[in-house]
Amino acid sequence: MSAFELNTSIANLRDLLASDLRAYDAVYLGDIYCRLYEANFLERPEDLREGLRILRDQGKRAYVTTYAAPRNDFLPKVRKMLGVAATAGAQAVEVHNLGILKIAHDEVPGLPVHVGGFANVYTDAGVEVLRGFGAVRFTPNYELSLDEIRDIVTTSGAAMELLVHGKMPLGISDYCFLLEYEEKWGIKCPDLCQKDLFLKQGDWAMKSVGKGILSGKDVCMLEHLPLLLADGHRHFRIETVSETPEYRREVGAVYREALRRAAEAAFQQDEGWWDVVRAHARIGLCNGFYFGKSGMDYAGIRPDAVGSFLTITPSGQ
Amino acid sequence: MVELLAPAGNLPMVEAVVANGANAIYVGPRGWSRRRDRYELTDEDVREAIAMAHAGGAKLRAAINTNMQSHEIPPMLRKMERFVTWGVDGAIMTDIGAMAEVHRRFPDLTIHASIGANILNNEDVGFYRSIGVSQVVADTKLTLRELASRKEQIDVGIEILIHANYCYTYLGKCWMSPYHRLERTTDPSGKDQFKGSPNRGGLDYRVCLESWELYSGATRWEDRVALKNDAFFLLEDIPHLIDLGVHCLKIQGREYPVPLVGEMVRFYRDLIDGYLAHPKGQSFDLTPWRDTLARIEAERNVARSEGTRLLLIEARQPVPTA
Repeated sequence: MSAFELNTSIANLRDLLASDLRAYDAVYLGDIYCRLYEANFLERPEDLREGLRILRDQGKRAYVTTYAAPRNDFLPKVRKMLGVAATAGAQAVEVHNLGILKIAHDEVPGLPVHVGGFANVYTDAGVEVLRGFGAVRFTPNYELSLDEIRDIVTTSGAAMELLVHGKMPLGISDYCFLLEYEEKWGIKCPDLCQKDLFLKQGDWAMKSVGKGILSGKDVCMLEHLPLLLADGHRHFRIETVSETPEYRREVGAVYREALRRAAEAAFQQDEGWWDVVRAHARIGLCNGFYFGKSGMDYAGIRPDAVGSFLTITPSGQ
Repeated sequence: MVELLAPAGNLPMVEAVVANGANAIYVGPRGWSRRRDRYELTDEDVREAIAMAHAGGAKLRAAINTNMQSHEIPPMLRKMERFVTWGVDGAIMTDIGAMAEVHRRFPDLTIHASIGANILNNEDVGFYRSIGVSQVVADTKLTLRELASRKEQIDVGIEILIHANYCYTYLGKCWMSPYHRLERTTDPSGKDQFKGSPNRGGLDYRVCLESWELYSGATRWEDRVALKNDAFFLLEDIPHLIDLGVHCLKIQGREYPVPLVGEMVRFYRDLIDGYLAHPKGQSFDLTPWRDTLARIEAERNVARSEGTRLLLIEARQPVPTA
């Protein structure tokens, strides 16, 4: 058993089949943003069953995520997929919506619940409420700093899951503005959001996946992994739902090795790691909100690791 | 009887909205609500606002609807205790842990789930009811059909925003603003202002309203992409909402000039009273109301555009180093 869990996310069967998952201990299946996302596991019961089987056969922990902003008309399908998850061997379900948490608690009580980043876990008191509904693991809201997360853990003893690399979710909409361009671009849904689209203005950038808005920069906690382990964290996410299988494999391999070394208190960084994460970060790297600053800032000793848009604060935290 | 709920970003606005017929008013204690501090009140001003509201026959709610820090819950409870002692009629809240604590400590206090709680489906409502919430603000993206379903199926008070912003993202599930600029400052009481994060009590820089270019890879596909973020007034739906039996019609706008907010409240007071007084079964002519609202809307648009322009300039300012 590994001293930590490194997990990632995959939206559909095609991406799952194309992905080399050796670096990962666990995978969340499904796209949380849009019901129309190409072949979304969350809309295809047979694909979800097959995905869970594939992960199980590879010895991975298999998790199913759920929609981040479900309206009433989503709920019949959500109930169906929770049932599939429970009967097809999922080891946990991730919920971002408190209504779905209530459904999971009431209707599939044996299925462990991980609370996702859109569920707005900001306080230890919030964790206690969610525990009452069966939650066992928590992704704190992305706005929280490591100090604030530490406060929650100290009081509650809750198991946290932290985004350590990848595009950080920034928002979710009920409206896909990309649909306005179907005719002009000659590209139809669901291909629109597969085009690696970035909103830019000056040194600002955000990635668009239609209804989802993500950080333009990749959150990168590579050099801070010893700090995360020292804080007692053991569950780490590389967010790859909108990335290529190559990104998933190469960045995952870097973090697998980096975490192994950090867990053995032998954290020597390889220059090659930085070449990999730089190559995959089109806009640059940031730390999100972990150090209490603007989400697009980077704090650390690797100013060369970031992209061209950043002003670096040397080692200041 | 439907309640008209009005904003107050200062004491003159409390006076104006009471005078113009608000049944209830909400104010934000400084640092604890989803607006910048200049539109929030000191605790002593909250006390005065409660007295002014009650003297005018209105209720007063305190919006403590930030997603606070764990260590801020005890001072929040002490603040709430003062407000309860002073006679506050309800609390508007977002953080589920804070709501549960307030309900435990003050079980008779009405808790309203804020728009920031982003309550989207009937199961959400069931969740919030289970932790002590008795009224919920409907997300601006919900349809009348969804609201009707909620009203039929769930014993909960529903509040509808009749003047508000329609953000591109779901409110409460967006941190675009602090991603671009977050300034950490503490006020004299030690409260972190989180300037740039509306979820945490600071201002929102409205970065979604920037003039974005859209790239695919290295290729620019569009020169200007607008993420929809419009302010709206409801008019045509007001009779339906009253007939549906919604509990409360809520006006947002603490950041607007006092006379403009007063006009908004007077407009909706007269509209609601006019509709309730008209004979049932006869059509209600909205034509004259459209003209009045168009004038108010034009005035609001000028104020909002200037506000957005200044916020986007402010968002580009470097964060001072400590």
